Amino acid sequence: MSGTSQQLSELLAHPSVWRGRSRAAMETLPTGFAALDAGLPGGGWPRHGLVEILTPGPGVGELYLLLPALAALSRAQPARWCTWVSPPHEPFAPALAAHGVVADRMLVVRTHLPLWAQEQALKSGACAAALVWLTRASPKAIRRLQLAAEQGRALGVLYRSQRHADEASPAMLRVLLEPNTSPGKCGARVRLIKSRGGSREPIDLEWSAAAA
Amino acid sequence: MHPRAYRLKFPEPREGAPPSVLRVRPAAPPPTGPGPGDQAALAFESRELWVAAYVPDLALCALHSSTRTAPLVVVDPEDHNQRILVADARALEAGVRAGMTLGAALAVAPGIEPAARDVARELALMQQLAAVAAEFTPSVSIEPPDGLLVEIKPSLALFGGLRELCRRLRAAAHAAPVLARCGLVPHFTLAPTALSALVAARAGARCFITDPNVLPARLKPLPLRALRWPEEENRRLEAMGVRTLGEVLRLPRAGFAQRFGKTALSDLDRLLGRRADPRGRLARRERYIGRLDLDHEVEEHERILQALDPLLAELEQFLRVRQRGITALQCRFHHYRAAPTSCVLQLAAPEADAARLRSLLRERLATLALPEPVRRCELRSGALTSRECVSRALWSPGERGFASTGEMPALVEHLRARLGARAVYGVESVAAHRPEHAWRVAEPVMAATVPDAPGAKRVHRPIWLLRDPEELALRQGRPWLRGALVLLAGPERIESGWWDGGDVERDYYVAADPHGARLWIYHDRTGPRRWFLHGIFG
Repeated sequence: MSGTSQQLSELLAHPSVWRGRSRAAMETLPTGFAALDAGLPGGGWPRHGLVEILTPGPGVGELYLLLPALAALSRAQPARWCTWVSPPHEPFAPALAAHGVVADRMLVVRTHLPLWAQEQALKSGACAAALVWLTRASPKAIRRLQLAAEQGRALGVLYRSQRHADEASPAMLRVLLEPNTSPGKCGARVRLIKSRGGSREPIDLEWSAAAA
Repeated sequence: MHPRAYRLKFPEPREGAPPSVLRVRPAAPPPTGPGPGDQAALAFESRELWVAAYVPDLALCALHSSTRTAPLVVVDPEDHNQRILVADARALEAGVRAGMTLGAALAVAPGIEPAARDVARELALMQQLAAVAAEFTPSVSIEPPDGLLVEIKPSLALFGGLRELCRRLRAAAHAAPVLARCGLVPHFTLAPTALSALVAARAGARCFITDPNVLPARLKPLPLRALRWPEEENRRLEAMGVRTLGEVLRLPRAGFAQRFGKTALSDLDRLLGRRADPRGRLARRERYIGRLDLDHEVEEHERILQALDPLLAELEQFLRVRQRGITALQCRFHHYRAAPTSCVLQLAAPEADAARLRSLLRERLATLALPEPVRRCELRSGALTSRECVSRALWSPGERGFASTGEMPALVEHLRARLGARAVYGVESVAAHRPEHAWRVAEPVMAATVPDAPGAKRVHRPIWLLRDPEELALRQGRPWLRGALVLLAGPERIESGWWDGGDVERDYYVAADPHGARLWIYHDRTGPRRWFLHGIFG
């Protein structure tokens, strides 16, 4: 009897099995923010999967949220790309370097086919992370990106406007980012609007000295 | 080396071959014939092994077309009598013979289709064949018009013995896609001297001889004409009753030299290996150019790709033999009336894999507009570059222990093939004070080097930089963007660039808009007070 339950628990510990309220067991990457790590299932960003970050607009800290993870990925061996597909502006190399991100590993893609480029980047296996800025994306397209990220074992990040927060999305993790407008503070409030067993409370983050 | 010792080293040819070929006698007495036989045989050592390839109907192969329906005869365009050089099987069946005049042939078989001989194409085919043979040894030479000589002795150990090497050579020649398309099947022979191998191949004899001592006996029954001496001498010899090599080798040396000249005598010496017979080596092409005439006009991209397959396979072979790769590949598509369409594939890293090139070409073709259907395809490689061969990984991309160095350039190429070269780029920092000069677009860095420790200055810079600063509206003297901006930090003065005309004098501030976004703005100190948005803190 005990043998069976042990086998069962082994089976349930498999990364691809996730049961309702429990936290999914998956490979994760520390976010660089202790409070966020504590709230996220597995203690960090998923290594293979799609994360959707919903923001009111550019400049509210959507990149600061990700920079520590990007810095770690860009320094990892073996080297892999971090692609930026159709970003709203140019990533400024000196600022990336100041945050410890290796600019050599960044690859910017300007295209009128962001979904195609993102899918190619995710499933190629040559990317550790692939960031995409989309104005429109159907749940079907997001599902494709999620599958491509799992296939290519990459972290896919999808930036969309917070207007889409109420829509259904097949992304593994959905994060709503609100800027902290109180004076003298430099940070943001993060809500996990969809996660596999993550915290439901809003998480307040403060950007590091380099960012502030 | 003594011939006996030599045979011990390569015993394979004796087993299992047809008896007519491998009737090897124990070291035969030195041949008698023209010349001081004894001395020659003692001085001679079999240092070489020659494979000859002869293409019997090269002229027909060169004019091959899968859409031809009529029987084909080939005529030399420079011949006044228009004698037929070669006729294909159906023309022969209809009664046409080589040597007939065209008029006579048309009288015998009115349905035949005469075609002028295409010497350039014949040479191109022979070069293809030479390229196949060059995989095995560098000593390859073409014997115009239809023979090929390959010296294989130095390559025996590498390719697993004589029999294995010959098998591979034959298989490679039959498998070469362009040759197979036009039905070119060479006849191979092996002999210790170049000329004897060639003569046996031209005569169509089965010949697999490694022992120079049995050579004279084995050459005996071959026809004299296979030597391709001038027609007049052939006729004189035939008038003397001499028709085979055996008969000509029996003639007394001095008298033969007197009657037929030294050239003919030295030919016989080279035939038996009594005289050195050095052959030139074919110069290797350093660029690949492949052309293919299509049987039908083709318009769909998928069909064009299919048509390009043999060329790509050939290119891969070309590169593999040289252990090189290419970084640029040009495709030209010829049309009936319109000027040829050309597209260039730029590769991020040296590439030699046909499947990869094909998938890149597919993406490239998807964006290519063709004015008319394609009649002929052409592939031209850029200069060859050295290519590092990497073993394929056990793990799938991204898994632990997997070095994805090969995948990184592959992704860049794949995206560029579809989106264009300028759509995919890297960024790098430049040591400069003006923000717009502190970064630049860079070619993506492929090297998987270990990044050095963070040595960058902790400067306060936004992550987003606008390509062109955006002028801000002013309300009550304060900058405005979706609301009044609040200055959080600053100013940071940047004054630089007076030497190159891009003179700037700016005071930079960090500002916050009412929605919580933090911006990097400056006011221009030259001229009237204007505010600009230059960056956004991500």
